Amino acid sequence: MRIVRKTATVCLLAGLGLAGTAQAADDPIATRQAIMASVGAAAGLGGGMMKGEIDYNPVAGKAVIATMQAASFTFGDFFPAGSDQGDTGALASIWENADGFAAELAKLSDATGKATAASGKDGPADLDAFKAAMGPIFGTCKSCHETYRKKN
Amino acid sequence: MKKAVVVLFVLAVIAAGAAWGLSAPTYISDQDAATLKVGEPVSGELVFWAGGCASCHAEKGAKGEDLLKLGGGLRLETPFGVFVAPNISSSEADGIGGWSLADFANAMTHGTSPEGENYYPAFPYTSYARMTGDDLGDLFAFMKTLPAVEGKAADHELGFPFNIRRGLGLWKRMFLDPAPVIGSPVSGNDVDQALWDRGRYLVEGPGHCGECHTPRDFAGGLELSKWLGGAPAPTGDGRIPDITPVDGGFGSWSAADIAYYLESGFTPEYDSVGGEMVHVQENMARLPASDREAIAAYLKAIPAVAAN
Repeated sequence: MRIVRKTATVCLLAGLGLAGTAQAADDPIATRQAIMASVGAAAGLGGGMMKGEIDYNPVAGKAVIATMQAASFTFGDFFPAGSDQGDTGALASIWENADGFAAELAKLSDATGKATAASGKDGPADLDAFKAAMGPIFGTCKSCHETYRKKN
Repeated sequence: MKKAVVVLFVLAVIAAGAAWGLSAPTYISDQDAATLKVGEPVSGELVFWAGGCASCHAEKGAKGEDLLKLGGGLRLETPFGVFVAPNISSSEADGIGGWSLADFANAMTHGTSPEGENYYPAFPYTSYARMTGDDLGDLFAFMKTLPAVEGKAADHELGFPFNIRRGLGLWKRMFLDPAPVIGSPVSGNDVDQALWDRGRYLVEGPGHCGECHTPRDFAGGLELSKWLGGAPAPTGDGRIPDITPVDGGFGSWSAADIAYYLESGFTPEYDSVGGEMVHVQENMARLPASDREAIAAYLKAIPAVAAN
């Protein structure tokens, strides 16, 4: 009986988990916006440290880079056909020039991959190392936003 | 009856004559022309970036050295039709290599070509009209040093009545005014007057910020009462933001935030610059830090324009 109940609970939790995933996948605009919000939050932390407004810490540096890398792997998967309609800042050029958009995403994952390698197990040791790792990542933001995001 | 027809005819001739006269191209005064002199290319390079010439006249997507090849060709798709940026390289045949400094000053400040034709205000001479003679002389000297690019750009694609250049003479009478837009800093701000003046010059003059950030009326003239208050994008989708010190908007940016954005391309929230503003920001990043601070000081002390 106990085993049955446990199994049921596990199934229920798994079901909830699946439901959660399904919901996000149903709304690609909300999903990609949440991913980009995590990038923005990470950029805020990284930029704050680079400007000297927040004390540098290797653990924080590593978190910034890891967030960017994860986003670079997932972000591009949430632009299905038709999701240019709705409350989105995405420009039609994403779908009209899919190869160009993919190339911009590749630039981001390339930059984050190199930063992750440089960051190592403990994160970039000091602020200069962090700046060197982040520079190329930050450079990719506007090169994509120039062509693929609506003006605002 | 016959008399009425004659009167009408005479009135029509007078009206046509007046319209013809009023639409004539204008030129710099002989006095101003006499003070112009070809200046220093080194100073002129800074004027070149402040003026954003390459953003329209270099090839789309150009970076680095390619920004100095001003062959034109960029298409600006607007509600009035498609404007194609012309070749302003130093080519004598296809660019402006054969121009005198006076030709250049007439184009930049009066929107009048060496042949006496009116330019369309897609070329922002309404802003460049506020530039100093010294800056024009330096810019002219710098542009002479840039590579000659062969080949003329395509013609504009405009429908009636916008395809009649002569009519622009009337438009210029209404909307071409080199006077400053904002007379003095909004009171209540602790302003370094010299810094603010420099910022006003850069924003209202060479930087031509108002051309996109200020809304236009039905005739395409800027609504100066909503100066820098944001507007529908003149090309493509979206809106150009309000950059006046409004509460709950741009007003929350400090002067340091504005200067940092112009240098780095990042907003205080670490969103990045996008769209055409990428070119503008990269141009501003080439100016001395004091110029970015001046722009920030100016933008912090102009009238706030409420959202519309």
